[in-house]
Amino acid sequence: MKEYDAVVIGGGLLGCFAARGLAGYRLKTALLERREDLCTGISRANTAIVYSGYDTKPGTLKTELCVRAARGFALFCEELGVRYNMCGSLMVCFGERGDAVIRDKIRQGSENGVEGLSYLSREDVLALEPNIAPGVFSGLYSRDSGTVLPWELCLAAAGNAADNGVDIFRRAEVTNISREGEGFRIQAGSDEYYARGIINCGGLSADKIHSMVIKSPIGISPDAGDYIVLDTKAAGHISHIIFHEPEHKGKGLTLVPTVGGNILIGPTERPYEQDAGGARAAAGSKAKPGDDMFAGTSLDGLEALRAQILQVMPSLPVEHAIRTFDATRPNPEDKASQASINDFCIVEENDSALISLIGVKTPGLTCANELGVHVSGKLASRLGAAANPGFRPRRDPPARVRDLPFEQREQLIRDNPDYGKIICRCGGITLGEVLDSIRRAPGAVTLDGIKRRAGTGLGRCQGGFCSQSIIETLAGELCCAPEDITKDGEGSYLFSKMATP
Amino acid sequence: MAAALCAARGSGAHAASVAIVERAPALGGILNQCTHKGFGLTYFGEELTGIDYARRFARLVDTADIDVFTDTSAIDIGGDRTVAVSGATAGLLRLQAKAVILATGCRERPIGALPVAGTRPSGVFTAGSAQKMMNIGGYDIGNRFVILGSGDVGMIVARHLAQSGKEVIAVLEISQDCGGLPSNRINCLERYNIPLLTRTTVSKVHGAGRVCGVTVADLAQGGSRFIECDTLITSVGLVPERDLLDGLLSEGPLPDWLFLCGNACFVHDTADDTTFESERTGSLAADFALHGVRMPGANHGDRARSDSFSPAEALAHGGTAGLSESGEVVCCACPKSCRAVLTSGGWQGLCCGRDSPDIG
Ligand SMILES: Cc1cc2nc3c(=O)[nH]c(=O)nc-3n(C[C@H](O)[C@H](O)[C@H](O)COP(=O)(O)OP(=O)(O)OC[C@H]3O[C@@H](n4cnc5c(N)ncnc54)[C@H](O)[C@@H]3O)c2cc1C
Ligand SMILES: Cc1cc2nc3c(=O)[nH]c(=O)nc-3n(C[C@H](O)[C@H](O)[C@H](O)COP(=O)(O)OP(=O)(O)OC[C@H]3O[C@@H](n4cnc5c(N)ncnc54)[C@H](O)[C@@H]3O)c2cc1C
Repeated sequence: MKEYDAVVIGGGLLGCFAARGLAGYRLKTALLERREDLCTGISRANTAIVYSGYDTKPGTLKTELCVRAARGFALFCEELGVRYNMCGSLMVCFGERGDAVIRDKIRQGSENGVEGLSYLSREDVLALEPNIAPGVFSGLYSRDSGTVLPWELCLAAAGNAADNGVDIFRRAEVTNISREGEGFRIQAGSDEYYARGIINCGGLSADKIHSMVIKSPIGISPDAGDYIVLDTKAAGHISHIIFHEPEHKGKGLTLVPTVGGNILIGPTERPYEQDAGGARAAAGSKAKPGDDMFAGTSLDGLEALRAQILQVMPSLPVEHAIRTFDATRPNPEDKASQASINDFCIVEENDSALISLIGVKTPGLTCANELGVHVSGKLASRLGAAANPGFRPRRDPPARVRDLPFEQREQLIRDNPDYGKIICRCGGITLGEVLDSIRRAPGAVTLDGIKRRAGTGLGRCQGGFCSQSIIETLAGELCCAPEDITKDGEGSYLFSKMATP
Repeated sequence: MAAALCAARGSGAHAASVAIVERAPALGGILNQCTHKGFGLTYFGEELTGIDYARRFARLVDTADIDVFTDTSAIDIGGDRTVAVSGATAGLLRLQAKAVILATGCRERPIGALPVAGTRPSGVFTAGSAQKMMNIGGYDIGNRFVILGSGDVGMIVARHLAQSGKEVIAVLEISQDCGGLPSNRINCLERYNIPLLTRTTVSKVHGAGRVCGVTVADLAQGGSRFIECDTLITSVGLVPERDLLDGLLSEGPLPDWLFLCGNACFVHDTADDTTFESERTGSLAADFALHGVRMPGANHGDRARSDSFSPAEALAHGGTAGLSESGEVVCCACPKSCRAVLTSGGWQGLCCGRDSPDIG
């Protein structure tokens, strides 16, 4: 049995930042993630926006954390070596109803203490974003808003936690928790762990994990959304995050100019449906559809997005689409009343040190660090732990060869020729960067893991060109056969190991 | 790389000094993954495999006085006619040239470009990368295949799979007709009893880890059905690879010292087409480098993009970029890769509802 003071369950944004928060105390800490890699859940597929905090109700924990987080986001990203595109956001509307919403948001924003908000006339909107449909009515500009790559943020937090002594275990699915003395005995994967305290960040399963100890008062009722990603060829078409406030009720369109130079379009809002076709076909196979959180994009959803684009920005070059993806929202719901809950839910057990974050949705990415600090502080005080004076909050960013000035790049390649060999043509990413992503803890073990760390395969060929050499590099580093490498964990093998029928 | 080899040869024949920069460890480009026969009938008068075809030109380059940088990528073309290159052995260098030929080939359109719903499992490959994984890597990429798109590469891959005893359930084509050459339809599909389903497409991909099947929509009759498979191969369009020009294009029209040939210029049907065109481009580029004059007829990447491009000019320039000998341009606005011709009445042949083509 492995013994720890604190165990964090779940390696998404919340779990990784909770672990980083705990590293700030004198606690022996472990993080347990069920999948092969971190950041494969909700944290991988979302809108990636840092919200400034005008959108949420005054007086909520959400608002308090969000406003604080957004204000310090650039500094905090600098500390973790994470790229932040602080592009500001623009909420736009096309009529009286939307205009009323915008005026309301400005009032709410100033009540929340958000700075840098301004009301924009039609002309102001068009001056900032000339490609918006000319029928635009008015807008709301927010300065303290921007976008990050969620996996870059999540893995930087995990890396910083690991640098500060947190043990990270992957393929460690928590299947049972029992009380033992003051603490807990945890069954995860093939190992047992003892922990004095637990922070449960199990994402869509957080309610079930809580219920392993004591019945969770809060349940999760998921819904889903679809996104389209445009190639960097479309970059420059927008320069701010754009929120469309529709005239009729329902979800408007969101457009995000990502850190990678793509444009993200979405999400829709629709019921979460398990994949019937897949389930039927996979009945005999090992893969368990529906067990996985991503049920797939829906054609209706993708069409709805295209229809909205025609209304908001008909000139958007959707022919440059390179990818679509879906996301699952973990809507928290009070189990007794079945009412949905509109704030972050932090459920604390009275008799023991179990703290669960259940159903944290937007702006969970924005607030990940604040939440991590918040819950790790709570647990530390319950466990009576002192601050860790040796904690180092900084993390050097990985080498990003393409961004270096010529002379520096030349020197780097002279020192290590692997930084000269380009592997991913779309992203200009080198062998050296791929190797770094495998070797630096928590290292990549899957094809998508390298994508999340080094940025390979995100471009317009979507890995068509580089996958094979990356698989071979990964197999070489992990001392296994290319056939053992998966795209993104269990069941997603790339080359056939099955006997030919 | 067929293009680069020929262009280099064409230039070398004029006593210009030439360097080839190639990202891969060997010269030959896409030809190196073509283990099948059918290359060189027009040029050599005999049927070669792609590998042998490439080898013939590679040997000519070896014996000529041409500097070859393999394992080296071009990363930037500067307005001062320098080409920045990066490689493990070469390091980071700037090569100074008098003329630059872009022969970077093309790239395959990914499935994400299509309105296909569903999950994102493993086991979805583009035809070219599947070909590379099988023929160069020697990997076994699956057992039960559905092929989306009846482009030439997709059909050639279908044949290869059938020959290796794999199950190819069908080739699906969204439009009325086969997308590739009729000869390939006969040789690769009909001969192996692989059904070609036209007016049919994949509307949804299923599977949590690996692909476990696809929902196939019948566009003619309506309705859809589920087909079980473990691999989906897509052959839904090739796009000229011209990223290296982005910097130059942002500064205005492309300079006269820049030449394009091969699939970087427009997607050619056969290697022989590429060869003829590239040899000519090579000598024109050499002329330019040695004498500073640009002969009419040289390929030029920006012509089809610029507003001043007129049908008369198109005809005068014969092989203008994005244009084939007959004045066709391959549109990249949708996966259909329609061929369009600019006439006095505007662009003809576009089926995607645009009034001018997108040439990627
Ligand atoms: C559609 C959508 C858009 C969003 N957009 C934004 C936005 O623009 N800005 C913003 O601020 N926020 C946004 N959010 C919110 C934000 O993405 C989430 O709040 C955040 O990612 C939640 O992280 P998490 O760590 O709780 O979940 P996850 O990332 O899902 O992490 C949970 C982890 O726990 C693991 N796990 C589960 N069960 C077990 C077990 N038994 N044992 C071990 N491990 C287990 C899972 O594998 C997973 O890795 C969005 C959310 C959604 C759904
Ligand atoms: C997948 C595929 C299969 C084909 N199959 C057949 C067939 O069966 N029969 C037939 O007759 N024709 C076939 N063709 C058509 C024909 O063979 C090719 O069109 C022709 O060989 C193209 O030559 P190319 O030099 O233009 O492109 P490529 O052969 O693709 O060469 C481009 C070269 O440029 C290199 N390169 C690209 N960017 C850089 C950079 N930045 N720095 C350095 N190097 C770079 C690449 O590594 C590559 O070697 C096929 C084409 C494709 C795409």
